[in-house]
Amino acid sequence: MNEKDEKKKSSNNRRNFVITSTIGASAACALFPFASGLPSVLDPVTKKSDGKQVPWTKVTALATLPEDGTPTKFEVILEKVTDAWTTYTNIPAGAVYLARNGDEVTAYNLKCPHLGCAIDYRKNSNDYFCPCHNSTFALDGSITTENSPSPRGMDTMETKVEGGLVWIRFQQFRPNVSEKIPLS
Amino acid sequence: MKALLDWVDDRSGIRSLIREALYEKVPGGARWRYVWGSCLTFVFFTQVVTGTLLWMFYSPSTQTAWESVYYLEYHVAGGWFLRGVHHYMAQAMIVLLVLHLMQVVIDGAYKAPRELNFWFGIMMLGVTLALSLTGYLLPWDQKGYWATAVATNLMAEVPVIGPAIQKIVVGGVEYGHHTLTRFFALHAGVLPASLIGLVVVHIYLFRKHGIHAKEPRPNRDSYFWPDQVLKDAVACLAVLLAVVTLTIYFHGAPLGPPADASNEFPARPEWYFLFLFQLLKYVPAFWGAVIIPAFLVLWMFLQPFIGKSKAGHQFNVGFWWTLLAGSVFLTFLAMSEDQANLKHGAALNEAQWQADRVVEIASSEGIPLAGAVSLLREDPENLGRRLFAAHCSSCHLYNGHDGRGYPVDESQSAADLAGFASEKWITELLDHDQYVSQKYFGGTKFKDGTMARKVLAKYTDTEKAALPQIAKLLADGAELPYEEPLDNQKREEFLSLFYNDDFVFEEGRACIECHDIDSEEEGYAPDLTGYGSREWLIAFIENPEGSRFYGKKNDRMPCYGRDNKLKSEEIAILADWIRSKPTEF
Repeated sequence: MNEKDEKKKSSNNRRNFVITSTIGASAACALFPFASGLPSVLDPVTKKSDGKQVPWTKVTALATLPEDGTPTKFEVILEKVTDAWTTYTNIPAGAVYLARNGDEVTAYNLKCPHLGCAIDYRKNSNDYFCPCHNSTFALDGSITTENSPSPRGMDTMETKVEGGLVWIRFQQFRPNVSEKIPLS
Repeated sequence: MKALLDWVDDRSGIRSLIREALYEKVPGGARWRYVWGSCLTFVFFTQVVTGTLLWMFYSPSTQTAWESVYYLEYHVAGGWFLRGVHHYMAQAMIVLLVLHLMQVVIDGAYKAPRELNFWFGIMMLGVTLALSLTGYLLPWDQKGYWATAVATNLMAEVPVIGPAIQKIVVGGVEYGHHTLTRFFALHAGVLPASLIGLVVVHIYLFRKHGIHAKEPRPNRDSYFWPDQVLKDAVACLAVLLAVVTLTIYFHGAPLGPPADASNEFPARPEWYFLFLFQLLKYVPAFWGAVIIPAFLVLWMFLQPFIGKSKAGHQFNVGFWWTLLAGSVFLTFLAMSEDQANLKHGAALNEAQWQADRVVEIASSEGIPLAGAVSLLREDPENLGRRLFAAHCSSCHLYNGHDGRGYPVDESQSAADLAGFASEKWITELLDHDQYVSQKYFGGTKFKDGTMARKVLAKYTDTEKAALPQIAKLLADGAELPYEEPLDNQKREEFLSLFYNDDFVFEEGRACIECHDIDSEEEGYAPDLTGYGSREWLIAFIENPEGSRFYGKKNDRMPCYGRDNKLKSEEIAILADWIRSKPTEF
């Protein structure tokens, strides 16, 4: 190899170094602004749920429910709801159908497990009907349509009757899957 | 991959566009002095990206602006960092603008044929300053609120249309929801869009005329790519590093207490507007807001023509240096005046206290719909300080200040109430020298009263030895939240000392001769049953002239329960606050 080639090679090396550094530095500058906000943008998926148990909420007096088991719709008023920075107190957070069976009560979420529309109770046919995609449910919440759009029956929640009052653990579940998975 | 690129290129001509962008000729070779424009583009790009990300968290209204920023800052992963980068990048932008401008001026790059581009640059300077000003208000904290109010009040100085402009910008007469929605629309929409437009024209004009080479040229001509790009990228990295360092060092951008029109705050703009702030101390607002800026704008637009001759250019450069030096000097004056002002320092400390306090409450209790400002307004701790400062500190001090940490100008005329009725406080009170000192009754007529002259001054050593027990007894009656109660046996023992059952005190100097504890009779001096307790203190503040207290001997202490001087809830808050903490002396 003669001297001229050596010189050319070293000049090429220098040029390659310059180009690599330039691309590296420019890429770092271009990506940095996005990277600086990435953890914040991803916060909703990376934030751990507080793991607290769903609190009991008082809904109504047992005496207000028809003894024949006809479902009645109630607003669920939660004592404390936190939405990002705001803490609300005594705020309606959803609704349930309550059906009485003796001294026990079953609570069905108003939201359709399909895609979250509000389910109607139909007095005439004595069943539940979702007006969005026509899913129908029996009074015990089970699916009654063939090829039901909804992959599972209506979502029930834990209930208890204490001192003549009906209490529930109000929560929402992941829509459109066959298992009932609580949202948290 | 190549096929895909070919396909795209075929339809877009992207390759020749990139080639054209990168193979711009740089006369005299790549130089560090050319990096400022690229740095500014990078900084602006960062601001657009981080600003858009911040937008995902920000909620512009008077009950949610501070709250949403607080939430991002304290409860969203990396929120403080994102906001910090945006905050310090904005300041870097100002610094870089000045550097870019001075480089253009010194190099004479503002002269023909680049006049138009110079003017566009000046406009961009204006838009950037407007971005800073509007962004400053958005967190809706005390600092932004009070400082921006000064700026919008200055708008009204513009003849004829000024008041209308002010109303349009503020969205009404007073600061409120519409101030925030408008400032936000300006800050995140109107101004950045204008700046993008101006940048496009600026870069187009720059490419049209090419780089203005500063003579002498150090090297052979080269291309923008890769040498100049490398220098630009390294400079951008340096800016980035500085911003990240500042962000980490200060743990993000500051967030003051939430804006409150009823809670004073010393209005100061960000550091880069301090020169203007200082200037307004010397010139009327009309001059500062209208005449001087108008003159400067006129001069900047004439500058390319003035600079045609060599002398004109030198004048321009000199004028810019003078402006810069003047601004630096005014900034220095503003800062050193504030530094020397004890009240200003105390006000900043007070604001910091409020900021920490509201974050503490918001984190434990959450924020109600009325917003975070209501947390502070209803916080007994905050109210106690403020009530003391407003109603008590003209006579009493608290740990040597006014309750909030502000120094007090007048000399103290009544006792310092920090740690009132605690064992330590009473022990000191029973020492003659302390009793007649400014810290206790030195400023009152009690200095020459019976207690001082005939009792405390005359105590023998045996009597003095009994005083700590008397102090313990009295402090026990106060039931202060930070002191342990006495057991019954001790209490009986000390009470017997108070009643002078064993004649420890000589006649005329026993406590019981003037003061009572747990008896029906009214003594000559204040009844000490439950002295310093919540009930006692509330009753005392309401009416110190009551027979239970000073009676006719009361020296200037107002009866706060009379004539609605203070509401009973306020008196209770005040009493609780005074009793809540030991003295720091």
